[in-house]
Amino acid sequence: MPLIAFYAIVVTLGILSMGFQMLGSRLLSPHFGSAIDVWACLISTFLAAFSLGSMLGGAISNFDPIVRRWSQYACAFAAFGSLLVTAVWGRALLGHIEVGFSSVLLGVLVACLALFFVPVAALSTFSPQCVHYLAQAGVAPGKGSGLVYGVSTLGNIAGVMLTTFVLIPNFRVSTLLYVWLAVAVLNLAALLRLLRTPDLP
Amino acid sequence: MKMLQCVLGLSVATAVLAGADAGNYVESYDTIYNSLTIERNGSVVELRARSRRGEALESAVDLNDPLKLMVAYTRSLYAGVFFQPKPARVLMIGLGGAGFHRLFSAAYPDALLQSVELDPKVLELCETRLAFKPTAKTPVALTDGRMFVKRDKTQWDWIILDAFRGGFVPPHLKTEEYYRECAARLSDRGVFISNLHSGTELFHSDIKTIKTVFPQVVLFETAGRGNVIACAVKYRTPDMTKPENWGSVENSVAQVLAGRLDLVAIKEELMEIPAKQVAKARLLTDDFSPVEFLDAMKTNNTGPK
Repeated sequence: MPLIAFYAIVVTLGILSMGFQMLGSRLLSPHFGSAIDVWACLISTFLAAFSLGSMLGGAISNFDPIVRRWSQYACAFAAFGSLLVTAVWGRALLGHIEVGFSSVLLGVLVACLALFFVPVAALSTFSPQCVHYLAQAGVAPGKGSGLVYGVSTLGNIAGVMLTTFVLIPNFRVSTLLYVWLAVAVLNLAALLRLLRTPDLP
Repeated sequence: MKMLQCVLGLSVATAVLAGADAGNYVESYDTIYNSLTIERNGSVVELRARSRRGEALESAVDLNDPLKLMVAYTRSLYAGVFFQPKPARVLMIGLGGAGFHRLFSAAYPDALLQSVELDPKVLELCETRLAFKPTAKTPVALTDGRMFVKRDKTQWDWIILDAFRGGFVPPHLKTEEYYRECAARLSDRGVFISNLHSGTELFHSDIKTIKTVFPQVVLFETAGRGNVIACAVKYRTPDMTKPENWGSVENSVAQVLAGRLDLVAIKEELMEIPAKQVAKARLLTDDFSPVEFLDAMKTNNTGPK
């Protein structure tokens, strides 16, 4: 697979992650408002998911090939499944969480963990594996790490801007959640195929 | 450390004494939700919110005559009396500078006027600079306006929506679902009153969304600043779009309002619903509410000072 396809996948991972945060804020606001405490919980949840996902992905990249392969399938399945839950039952779940907690802050935390933590953590497991992929293809680890995280962060920026200025003003949030699911399926399918054999120059 | 304290101190409050007249001041506050300026000039104190397009006058009070309504649109909010002349319980979402409150409390001393404000600094400034003290009849809840409506089960005679943050209206306070939540908290003969800004795409979407929930909507255009007050009720008869069906206030209330509120002038602010534009406008829902992009600030009460 050409190098450009690899980086396109990495950029798309970045778009999926941070664009999802902007969608998340729109999902939460009817139930919990959009005050600063809501944003604090939302951002912290995403950062915690990035953190855990990166550590888990780093560990997975060191597994032997068969276990690694199954672990990659498991992470991809977790991402699909959790994005599907958010798209199909997200609003209903938020409604239950909202009335289930008398403390707004606790409700927001539970809602963020329930809807956003798993998909973002699952997507984040693939960044270290992309670094591993480059390393296997002969790219120096430091350089590979810098490239993957740099390109992925560019994707994060694109995700925030695209979602905020193009998608949210023109499409329903519920529609966009299904778009996220579809793009995640396509992107992770391509990435899983890519990670099977390193064939970069 | 001293440098940090200095920077923090400056960011929290910058006070500049005008010096020329004793007691005059201009103070700026960057709160977690707003950039506020409060200015005293003689007996008049103004509260303004800064935004990317300038400063919007939020509220003002004449300390020598606190009942005087200094900001034009706060007079128009009283159009609510035409639809429910005897409000016993009023919910105001967005405290602002409490410009509305003093006259209301004088006219309806037995009524409950519950305010909801997100920004604690706004309440503090009302108490310390704008001569407003919350009482048992005028309590203030520091929370999100939507959270309050969802969790409080009171039936209100008036619900006034006048919530802005840095010049923009929070999107979740503009949706069909939120208006339905407000309608559910409105007494049978109650009125929902909303401060809208004309001259924006948001204006037509606002009206369309309010009309989707409330069968009758009447608009009052405040002269000069682009504010339009929407009054909406959830009953179909009598036809409240006809002024001859509007209620009249009791003599005791009218006496308090006299000289400070010209109800005849407010009646003359009645405006037609721009039906063509409203028909083309997009409905705002929890699923689709690009409020920021519909340009809420375009003709907010921002203007040259």
